[in-house]
Amino acid sequence: MQKIPLNLAAAEMVLARDIFKNDSPTGMPICGKGTELSDSLISRLQQMGVQSLYVEGHPVWQEGDRGLTEQLADLEKRFSKTMDNRYNTTLLEVYRTHFTAAMGDDGGRTEE
Amino acid sequence: MDERRSDLKKIIMDTKTLPTLPGVINKLNSLSNDDKSSVQEMARIVSADQVLSARILRLANSPSYGFYRVSTISNAMILLGVNVVKSLALSSSIFEIMEKNSVGLWEHSLGTATAAGIIARKLALPEVEEITTAGLLHDIGKVIIGLKCAEQMPEIRSRIKLDELYISDAERAVLDTDHAEVGGWLSKSWFLPDKLSEPIAYHHNVAGSEDHRIKTSVVHLADVLIKASGFGDSGDSYVPPIQQLAWDLLKLDESLLQEIVVELEDKLVEVKNFSLELASAAVA
Repeated sequence: MQKIPLNLAAAEMVLARDIFKNDSPTGMPICGKGTELSDSLISRLQQMGVQSLYVEGHPVWQEGDRGLTEQLADLEKRFSKTMDNRYNTTLLEVYRTHFTAAMGDDGGRTEE
Repeated sequence: MDERRSDLKKIIMDTKTLPTLPGVINKLNSLSNDDKSSVQEMARIVSADQVLSARILRLANSPSYGFYRVSTISNAMILLGVNVVKSLALSSSIFEIMEKNSVGLWEHSLGTATAAGIIARKLALPEVEEITTAGLLHDIGKVIIGLKCAEQMPEIRSRIKLDELYISDAERAVLDTDHAEVGGWLSKSWFLPDKLSEPIAYHHNVAGSEDHRIKTSVVHLADVLIKASGFGDSGDSYVPPIQQLAWDLLKLDESLLQEIVVELEDKLVEVKNFSLELASAAVA
């Protein structure tokens, strides 16, 4: 599952979560999970002011977007100066878990 | 060294050469000191400047604040508070420079604002909008250094890269001051309230803050989280150490941090979208 801004959505992507009006879970549902996107549906969503949506898999690879292994290596590099600070090592662990979970089960880049 | 620092301070405090909008700000300042003046009156003054109003409304509608569809300045003043709107008005020229010349720093600032808001809400702190604004403004010193010390910037950048320094250390090595201190000077010269100027001046040294340590701790942590996330570009790519004082004051623990990170990463997708939209609007 990947959360993407609407302007990167494309036809044939499949919704992984329901879309609600005003992006609010208490709002009216507009479009259900499992729906395959089409160009006309995307422009309808644009008109309704939807900001972002969740899609299945990891279909959007942007420039600079990295697979899980690279992401984790970058993460550790960012923390390299503060590994002696116990609060920072706690935070590193939180981020490591989060990135691993966010990339889904395929564990990283499967296609380019 | 000392001489250079006080010279720099003089240059920065010289508000005439700063990119601000003095007319509107002076009017607002004199009004907000007068208890009798109404929000409507202030809103009318800001609304008279269309460019300024558009910029304030755009920020008020950004994912960092979490309100959507704020359509009038008087609404923004009620939702965000007069202080926040005034600070946004004051710094809108600085934001414009960031948007044009350093998108990375702009994203870092928006991200930090978003993180600060999430932390403040999670901890049920008062004045969430003020804390968010402090996050948005915490690195204004970097913009000023970029403007006023353009000659020394290549040296600062090369020190960061070659010696693997934090930007603050490189700034101090070259300029004998750093962006937090410069931001503090600037917020003083703008008469920003202490609850904004202290987080700006002490986001790398929470103990330096006298009256607003909680707000300063939130901005400190927000900055750390955004650098950990790798969102935007604040000048160097190293996560600063989380200060024990901040950790204790905010009563942090691993599970709280986890909740904050999940919410933040979720929101950052929208922040990225917002900044992409701004960038494409600037090209069009």
